[in-house]
Amino acid sequence: MRPPGLRNVLLAIAVVVPVNAVLAAATNLDLAGGRLGAASVSITGCTSAGLSVLSNSSGSSVVSVTVASLPASCAGATLAVTVANGITMGSGSTTVPAGGGSVTVNLGSATAITTRLETDLVLVGP
Amino acid sequence: MSSTARGVAALFLVALGAALITRCVPGSAASLNLTGQGLTEFRTCTITATPAVTTSVRDASVRQGSPGTNFGTATTDSIASASGANRRLYLWFDLAICSPAIPASATIRLATLRLFVSALPSACRTIDVFRVTSPWTEPAITWTNQPFGTAINNPPSASATDTFTIGTPVGCQNRSTSVYVVGANPTADVSAYVSGGATNLGWMLRDDVEGSSTARTETLSAKELGSILQAPQLVVTYATTP
Repeated sequence: MRPPGLRNVLLAIAVVVPVNAVLAAATNLDLAGGRLGAASVSITGCTSAGLSVLSNSSGSSVVSVTVASLPASCAGATLAVTVANGITMGSGSTTVPAGGGSVTVNLGSATAITTRLETDLVLVGP
Repeated sequence: MSSTARGVAALFLVALGAALITRCVPGSAASLNLTGQGLTEFRTCTITATPAVTTSVRDASVRQGSPGTNFGTATTDSIASASGANRRLYLWFDLAICSPAIPASATIRLATLRLFVSALPSACRTIDVFRVTSPWTEPAITWTNQPFGTAINNPPSASATDTFTIGTPVGCQNRSTSVYVVGANPTADVSAYVSGGATNLGWMLRDDVEGSSTARTETLSAKELGSILQAPQLVVTYATTP
């Protein structure tokens, strides 16, 4: 005959195992139930307007970019700019001032002007 | 309480604690708060008429006073209203050189023609920008064979894609020399070119009222001038997401 202490231990294990099994099932149900998806949010931009983007040159290179026509809804956003000519690139960022308007972003390194230049702009925030 | 009973009780409490902790995890996930930060993306392709021999940009004026002469290699472009001596400017930019390519589904936010001014008229003149719908080439175009024909004030001003004003008087949009003109925005045309709704054959710029009894001329730097800081440009800003 088994000692009483060992019987109690086995009984406790028998209780714990089903509890964990139930909890594991509950966790699966939560995820499958889409609760996390229900917490998603949509990300919108601060403007869909036509921004004026002009490169400022020194010699034969672009040293900064002026972005104009920024609406007030973009105030406080971080404007990141990258200029690339296919060989080299320069980038920089600044904060859109209150009221929007025009900002000039200085590039970390000058980019030589070629027949085509690509300028990427990303406004993060506000 | 015996040591065995205490052991069982402790084991049970541990199991219960684990159960509670496990239950808290999905509870937190269900109430997860996500906050979005605004994200706005644009891309700009700037096409510059450089070097002077590039074939990705074409610019050529045509002159009524020299109807059979080609000015495709001139170092200046000009637009003029003058009786019997009108001048028009034809421009073309190869949008296909943009890299990455502008997707046909892109939304064109703004297209800007940039032309460097070297001389202004003393009167404020309105310049019309028209979409060209017939082929032309830089080394062959003349007043006589130009796509829009030789009749003055044709096509009608109402069909212009855009207009801007230029001249020294106060109130004119462009009153200075040695700067690029502002206000020439053929955005709708570039949208059509990119989407495939129209074939990119460039633009023609003319005075809104040709045949002025007093000659009114704007002089602009041509790509053949070879000055990278004065070269004609087309700046296209677009978004690839709605």
